[in-house]
Amino acid sequence: MDSFSSSSMSSSGSQQSTEAVMEQIKAQLAQAYAQEFMETLGTKCFAKCVTKPGTSLTGSESSCISRCVERYMEATGIVSRALFSQR
Amino acid sequence: MDASGVNPRLLALIEEEKRKVIANEIIAKLTDTCWDKCITGSIGSSFSNSEVSCLSNCAARFAELKMHIMQQFQKR
Repeated sequence: MDSFSSSSMSSSGSQQSTEAVMEQIKAQLAQAYAQEFMETLGTKCFAKCVTKPGTSLTGSESSCISRCVERYMEATGIVSRALFSQR
Repeated sequence: MDASGVNPRLLALIEEEKRKVIANEIIAKLTDTCWDKCITGSIGSSFSNSEVSCLSNCAARFAELKMHIMQQFQKR
């Protein structure tokens, strides 16, 4: 955080360092979001697809998980659109 | 340029990112709740029409519910 305030004081470099800091912040936020999303996918799809855990994932369990990931992403889109057409 | 502290443009950009995070959190929580309510059967290669409307209705009703609660709370 020290380099952040000292680089904002140099007028010639400040535009560039704002962009650089924002890129870093956005990348970290995206990573945190992806991790949380994957946690949720794991929970939901395990519940739906792996009802009796065996010694390995079966073919049908694997395809269920793939479909589940697709469906959950689709559900996120449906919910998002429903929410933002309310305003 | 503000010499006493942080770049104000940077602060404004950060505030915008904060708003996006909050919006994404709401969507994530709502999708979680509505998935549990609406996707009750097995997982197919597409949603049925009733599943799609359930998800859509769920989100809209939840938004209304929050509005309702806020109004109720403010009356007290």
